[in-house]
Amino acid sequence: MTQYQNITPVPVIEIQSLVKSFGDNHVLRNYSLTINQSENIVVLGKSGCGKSVLIKCIVGLLPYEGGSLRVFGQEVSKLTQIELDEIRARIGFVFQSSALYDSMTVRENLEFPLRRHGKHKTRAEIDEMVKETLENVGLLNAINLMPSELSGGMRKRIGLARALILHPEVMLYDEPTTGLDPITSREIINLMLDVQKKYNTTSIIISHDMNCAKLTANKLSVMVDGINYMEGSFDEVSNAKDQKVHPFFE
Amino acid sequence: MISGFQVSEGSKMKPKEKDVLDYLPHSVQVFLNEAGEITRFAIRFFKQVLGPPYEFKETARQSFDIGYRSLPLIGITAFIIGLVLTLQSRPTLAEFGAESWLPSMVGISIIREIGPVVFALICAGKIGSSIGAELGSMKVTEQIDAMEVSGTNPFKYIVVTRIISTTLTIPILIVIGDAIALYGSYLAVNIRASVSFTLFFKQVFESLQFSDAIPALIKTFFFGFAIGLVGCYKGYNSKKGTEGVGRSANSAVVVSSLMVFLLDLIAVQITQFFGFL
Repeated sequence: MTQYQNITPVPVIEIQSLVKSFGDNHVLRNYSLTINQSENIVVLGKSGCGKSVLIKCIVGLLPYEGGSLRVFGQEVSKLTQIELDEIRARIGFVFQSSALYDSMTVRENLEFPLRRHGKHKTRAEIDEMVKETLENVGLLNAINLMPSELSGGMRKRIGLARALILHPEVMLYDEPTTGLDPITSREIINLMLDVQKKYNTTSIIISHDMNCAKLTANKLSVMVDGINYMEGSFDEVSNAKDQKVHPFFE
Repeated sequence: MISGFQVSEGSKMKPKEKDVLDYLPHSVQVFLNEAGEITRFAIRFFKQVLGPPYEFKETARQSFDIGYRSLPLIGITAFIIGLVLTLQSRPTLAEFGAESWLPSMVGISIIREIGPVVFALICAGKIGSSIGAELGSMKVTEQIDAMEVSGTNPFKYIVVTRIISTTLTIPILIVIGDAIALYGSYLAVNIRASVSFTLFFKQVFESLQFSDAIPALIKTFFFGFAIGLVGCYKGYNSKKGTEGVGRSANSAVVVSSLMVFLLDLIAVQITQFFGFL
């Protein structure tokens, strides 16, 4: 065994038997998954199977009815609003629709989390952080544009920049390459890999883009009927002969 | 292996006992449910409005947006209302030889009833729909979720600020509208006669009492509150994607207009009760 293999993995997110329903629609039924520090996990699953619900539960956007969900060792459902906000400051969330604030410029979009989570920062510090983060995603020239003036790929990058600005320890990506052309998808994937390398982040990537999964994942989790149906490396899962898993790789 | 859907003894459904609401028509049940939800939304507003953090900057920005952007529409419609009301009232008053009462009649009508209600309805159309559509769009594009993840209470930042803004700016818009309508009336009077600006407004204010102006002013705050509340409620609870945004905007106008009439009716009853009418 190498020295690296002897290091005990540090769990960042521990999900045990998570249950979440919307009325009679039982989305998550005893879903379990553990994500260790610096891991990149891709969660695969059919559309509407509850993948986005899972990451929204992780940041406390949706309450869950049963099971346990611990983030940085703390049970999400038991956190006070202040504690939840402290945890959220350590997590970056890239939304499927980018979720840029329409009424604000790119600069204001990036300043927003800084002003909310990092209130002690001066104007100059905020300005520097915004410019540095925009440089990282290659869009410094878009600093004064409105979201309506950006292309789909640019919106995704700005969404990623906004999630990154607080240097989070965990990144949650909700279908980061959906709706993008192959070249822009590849650019976003490269950006995600750069982020992981530069900031040593732990990531959960919700996707059904196999190329994205292959390039970014250390581990794959296949969600079927609200449970973690299969878990393993890309090669292990893609070579599985299971009827419910195999169609994803065809 | 489970071969077919099985129902255990314990899960056999007992017939649900009907309560009083179940005997009401569906439309009435929907109405009562909606009224209950709006009331709950209003209670949530009152719970959050007084506690920190205070979003002064956003409230000021919203107040400027809501007030300044509605001013041209209110100004034009107010001017036309004053002008038309005067032109149409003149022949009737002339029949009774009471043309000299025209400024007083127009002044009382506009300040007591026409101004507050008509301008509030215009605000319900413009501001209510704009808030409903904006919040609905924010909801379906996950901007509200993004705000929450950024450590911001979206209800406080989006809803509380807008309701405060409408409650404060709509009365100001109505007062400005009243003034412009009276000016329109003054110009209409001068089409056929020559009445000085001072004389016209002296006649208007001589016939007015505090009991005319104060209840009318007070009710405009309630109109503003109702327009903001309904617009925010509809937008914040928007569903079904972009279709839902349209529905939110539309129902925000319909419900807030109805609220304006309902509040006006209540205000009239209250002022009558206290002997102001």
